[in-house]
Amino acid sequence: MAFLELRQVAFTYPGWPPVVQGVDWTLPEGEFHCLVGRSGCGKTTWLKLAAGLLQPDAGELRLQGQALTGPTPSMGFVFQTPTLLNWLSVQDNVLLPIRLHRPVQDADVARAQALLAQMGLTPWLTQSPARLSGGQQSRVAIARALVTEPALLLMDEPFAALDAITREELQDDLAQLCQARRTSVLFVTHDMTEAVMLADRVAVMSCGRVVADVPVPLERPRRRDMRYGAQFNTLCAHLRKAMDAGQSTDALEHASADSVAVLAVSQAKGPVSW
Amino acid sequence: MVKSTRLWSWLLAAVLLILWEVLSVVQGWSLLVLPPPSRIAQSLWQGLASGFLWPHLGVTLFEMLAGLALGCVLGLVGGVALGEFPRWRAVLMPYVVVSQVVPKLALVPLLIMWLGFGWWPTVVVTALICFFPLLENTVTALQHVDAQQLDLFRLLRASRWQTLWRLKLPAGLPTILAGFRVAVVLSLVGAVVGEFIGASQGLGALIIAAQGSMDTPLMFAVLVLITLMGWGLYQLGVQCETWLLRRLSLPVRATSLDVSP
Repeated sequence: MAFLELRQVAFTYPGWPPVVQGVDWTLPEGEFHCLVGRSGCGKTTWLKLAAGLLQPDAGELRLQGQALTGPTPSMGFVFQTPTLLNWLSVQDNVLLPIRLHRPVQDADVARAQALLAQMGLTPWLTQSPARLSGGQQSRVAIARALVTEPALLLMDEPFAALDAITREELQDDLAQLCQARRTSVLFVTHDMTEAVMLADRVAVMSCGRVVADVPVPLERPRRRDMRYGAQFNTLCAHLRKAMDAGQSTDALEHASADSVAVLAVSQAKGPVSW
Repeated sequence: MVKSTRLWSWLLAAVLLILWEVLSVVQGWSLLVLPPPSRIAQSLWQGLASGFLWPHLGVTLFEMLAGLALGCVLGLVGGVALGEFPRWRAVLMPYVVVSQVVPKLALVPLLIMWLGFGWWPTVVVTALICFFPLLENTVTALQHVDAQQLDLFRLLRASRWQTLWRLKLPAGLPTILAGFRVAVVLSLVGAVVGEFIGASQGLGALIIAAQGSMDTPLMFAVLVLITLMGWGLYQLGVQCETWLLRRLSLPVRATSLDVSP
């Protein structure tokens, strides 16, 4: 069943070239999809559209069959940076999504504590997040997104700022949690190995378009040793190729008459180093 | 290192005072123009010991704190209103600027006509002087909240009031408190200067009275008292600020001048 559906979605910031154009995508329930692409290719904008933070200029987004007009209670969002409130304790940060809408109950506290325990943060419950390391802060942000048990999780390069080992640990945690809860996930990254490790399907983006749709047929649960397997590496190479191909077709599409002329002249004169 | 710099600043003060004392005795300066530090200290001690200075000190302190409280409430409420409603800001900001451009001292005679002799005109002038830094900083703080944190609150479907109370005000607290620190200093200026005109009690009025009776040592004594008072209140403000920010795990602003003893 289609959980989140994008049909011909386009978005442009006023005075700029289109950021997202003509995107069609379907995220079925319980699947983990990754968006990969270079910086500035419209991944984050796509995610903000899916979150209802931005409204598309054209096309339509549907969440569980309903047109999406704004943020809904059934989604969790994790930003590029942890975006925690330093004046609240770790536990209160996690409980914030609940506290904004109703009084916090014992069951909520228990759920928050269980999530934090799963992430190894129990000793820091009452501390300010300012005292935690970057990896720990990211974990708190993930716990905050999961505490309402959202059906849809949207994540914007949540591990980009972390060291490789912490990133791998968090990837494992996240994959386990999402599989256990059958959460549908849209995960933005520019790291191809991360995409292959986590995703059921990868969308390769370039200049606001989806240029490739790559299924990842690796078995679940994914184990760390898979990272070094032949199939894994073939998939990474495939993604890489799709990205490069997307880049070059876009370059041609966007090349103006002038630059074509320049190219023609430079070819006539022989090789030019660019 | 810090200890030795402090020692040096105390030493400098001692040297200057001794130089002043010696020069005024050797040169035979008139008491009317520049009394030696010993005379000033004597005058200050007499005033304090006889209980003559205390009521004046109390009045100035009261006017200052009342004016500061009034000004802070005005500045905070006004700052939140102007920060939250851009349209109001466009309409009202010129008036706020005008209220700051008008020399507040020139308003005192008018305020006396409206409010009578007594402490009200001074309190109002003090409030007028010290509401501005708080207003300015509150407006700035509310406009410079991290965009991602604002997105977070939108995603969590927080109301406008929740966003203000749970995000913008706590996040802006360091900036708002920096404005408060400036307001504390200005409130003492406001109170003393307000008393210059038409007040019969308070340290400002006492300076005018001492001028009338050509009691220069008393003038200096009152100046010393005002300085000590301002310094103490400023330190108290900084301590409160640091304590509050530490408690809330917010960045503690470095004070531009380290004047702690």
